[in-house]
Amino acid sequence: MDEEFNWLEYSESMERATADAEDSASRRGLRRFLPRLPKLPGLPRLPRFSRPSLPGLPSLPRLPRLRRGAQASASAQPLASELLGGQSNRPVEELDDRLRALRERSNSGAPAPYQSLFDVDEALVSPAFQGKPGGVISAVALSKAQQQQVEMLKDIVGGPLQAPADDNRRLPRPTRLFSLSALPRLLGTALLILTASLPFVSSDFAEGELPPADFAEDRQGAADFYNKIDKVGSADYVLVAVEYGPAAAGELDSLAELLLRHILIRRAKPLIVSSNPIAIVHAQNIMQGINRSIPNVNARLASGEDYHLLRYLPGGALGLRELSENFADFARVSSRGQLTGLELKSLEDMALILLITESADDLRNWAEQVLPEVASMDLLAATGYAAQPLAQAYADSIPDIIGPVYGLRDAYTYGEKLRANFKPLLPADSDRQADVELAPISEPPVSGPLFSGEPEAEVERERATALPAATATHAPTATPAMTATLQPTSTDTPTPTATDTPAPTATDTPAPTATEETLLAVEVVSTQRVNIRRRPTTVDDVLGLGNPGDLYEVLGTNGDGSWYQIALGDGLEGWVAAFLVEEREISANQLAGGEEPDSASLPRERAVMRLDFTLRLGKNQPRYYQAPAPLPGARPELALPRDRSQEIPRLHAMTMGTVMAVLVIVIGNLFYAVRGLLRRRSPRV
Amino acid sequence: MVSAVVAFAVGVTVMLSLLLGDNPTLLGNMPGRDELARQIALPADVLLRLVVILVALSIVIGIANLLFVHVSRLAKGKFYSAVLLASFGFTIYWYVTRQGDTSLLEAVQLPIESALAALLFLSLALGGARVLDKRRDIWGLLFVAVVVVVLLASLPLAELAPLRGWSDWLMRVPVSAGARAMLLGIALGMVVAGVRALLGQDRAYRG
Repeated sequence: MDEEFNWLEYSESMERATADAEDSASRRGLRRFLPRLPKLPGLPRLPRFSRPSLPGLPSLPRLPRLRRGAQASASAQPLASELLGGQSNRPVEELDDRLRALRERSNSGAPAPYQSLFDVDEALVSPAFQGKPGGVISAVALSKAQQQQVEMLKDIVGGPLQAPADDNRRLPRPTRLFSLSALPRLLGTALLILTASLPFVSSDFAEGELPPADFAEDRQGAADFYNKIDKVGSADYVLVAVEYGPAAAGELDSLAELLLRHILIRRAKPLIVSSNPIAIVHAQNIMQGINRSIPNVNARLASGEDYHLLRYLPGGALGLRELSENFADFARVSSRGQLTGLELKSLEDMALILLITESADDLRNWAEQVLPEVASMDLLAATGYAAQPLAQAYADSIPDIIGPVYGLRDAYTYGEKLRANFKPLLPADSDRQADVELAPISEPPVSGPLFSGEPEAEVERERATALPAATATHAPTATPAMTATLQPTSTDTPTPTATDTPAPTATDTPAPTATEETLLAVEVVSTQRVNIRRRPTTVDDVLGLGNPGDLYEVLGTNGDGSWYQIALGDGLEGWVAAFLVEEREISANQLAGGEEPDSASLPRERAVMRLDFTLRLGKNQPRYYQAPAPLPGARPELALPRDRSQEIPRLHAMTMGTVMAVLVIVIGNLFYAVRGLLRRRSPRV
Repeated sequence: MVSAVVAFAVGVTVMLSLLLGDNPTLLGNMPGRDELARQIALPADVLLRLVVILVALSIVIGIANLLFVHVSRLAKGKFYSAVLLASFGFTIYWYVTRQGDTSLLEAVQLPIESALAALLFLSLALGGARVLDKRRDIWGLLFVAVVVVVLLASLPLAELAPLRGWSDWLMRVPVSAGARAMLLGIALGMVVAGVRALLGQDRAYRG
């Protein structure tokens, strides 16, 4: 047992070394600001613990003791160096090849040849260079711990190394930015930037074919990927894991946006999660961008209703394991700490899992931690170029992993495919302005079935619920125009019922006249629901939520005009931040009738009880507030135009940049290869 | 020593809990097997939740530590620490006062990180141009050849279509093999690290 390594002794030694380091080093970090505490009286020592010898297992080699007299490093983490310190007397044959060569050379006294063991050499002789002016090494200030490690390495390899006085060594010199030696790099950089920028400037440099409009036959995984999303329905939830940071946004944003649009067009609800806190915020901004692109304000999406941003998922692989096993709890809280109201039991309630990632590690984690927990559920992988090889390996091996769809070119193909199947909903850029003017209100979304394979009856039902909403929803500024466009609307729907599509009449939609009393109101212009608070401060209670387009009578403002005091009905008053709303002058009728003049034939606004938590220090009680319920059928068809103006130039830029990169690599290597050959033939004297 | 015992006990508990809780068949055909498996799975569930909470807390501690480190560096006159602290304070102020406005992320952080990613392209291209300067041997030559073939094959030019077969083979066979080998290596490494931790031979984070 005496030969066995004693953990307790080792641990005590380490603690002593650490304590010495802490005493000798200056007080750091948080401790700088804390008073010194008296030492606690010594606790009774625990019995010594030795690792038991397990029968059948070979005895472990004795680990080295701490180096006697080792000075604790200032970092108080001397583990590696102190362990190394015990190996100074290792026999030569046990050393690594490099260390062995170094020791043998040191013993023989031969000068170190240049370029052999370059890095080690530099490190070991660095103290000798400290006084040398002008060199690179002299500019490097070694810390005390680094100097100790250098000394230790010297000790290991057999004694101190002296810098040879005249070995014709060429120390690396710093390269100045505008020097002859930097010219190739500057030239290559300029060429790369120039060629990659040209397609954005002129269409004459649009080199290369555009990606196909559909996935090739040998990309069955990508085609399946599309079809899986295309099959989700309006009652489905899709778990969308957005696992990429800002660095990969340029590559993956367009793909992520398209996938989200596809899910939303299918009327499914994406639940967005991420183990990257920045990605959650960025995903929120992507959703806002999608929302802004919907021309009809009334059709815009509401966070917490049409999509959900779930809370940040910490813990990497462990967090994913927790997500897969306790998904119901996880889905209850949004990224802003509010209750989502989702009543989900487990991941099995998801129709699909969609992973958008820049890293193969994320795919591995999801495949290992989440996929085994859900029986027969598909994991759709959308990746960047770098993660594609591993994603492909996974997709080839595991039937439940579909894809991968990756990079800008696949994003283009996906967009084309989406546009071909949902052309009225994703109009071309040239059609966009017309669509914005006409809006989906005045123009029925499609003349045939809305979605391929979808029953006609369902399409008609969706139209029936969508069209009256267009007349019913608010936005008083649009009222005159909407009244005008309603006429063709009623003729465009051939089978309206009295309850489904009330034909607007002149009495139903009175235009505001000058004689009517006008009120100052504010309209919620934020793309998301806004908080209405008890007092004009963000730390006070939330009384309710205002939906985009809601109108509220203004009762006053705070001192600096950054908050509006508004009437909530039933005598309630609240405050809303000024930058989330815009002032409107409206008639009393418009406000008194709810939000729409012709709402008599529609279900009145219902008050629903929503559960919310107000998280405050010392107070965490559930509280109920009233919030307007969404009107049935209050959403016209989603029209999701997509700005693709930069998509094609980016593809051409990628082509041009790749061409130039190949040229730079080939020419550069040819140059260096030829130069190397010439130098070999005529060695320097 | 106490920490080692705790780590060992927790590790074995979680391992057994996950193993038996997820695989009730390992318990044989005893009556009430599924209920027993659920009970066995409970400790792992609780401990994993605790770990996730601790990880989340460690982020807060990390931020606090970062701030204290830079406050101390600021006392030494480090300019960039002042920039960091000012940015931190400004971002918090912006987020709180603008009701969660995240435009700073889109207007500042995203362009900067995208630019850094673009710099990586330049660095790789220029580094690739100097391979035969640093390593003039068969491996350097092979590296350059593979890079050139794969890059050319990725171009959407009809003239380069014959190269796509080579590129596809490279991606399908060597790259896929390498990727799988890495996965195997990672898995084996994790198993070894886990066993060593459980047997008390390794104590991560000085635990």
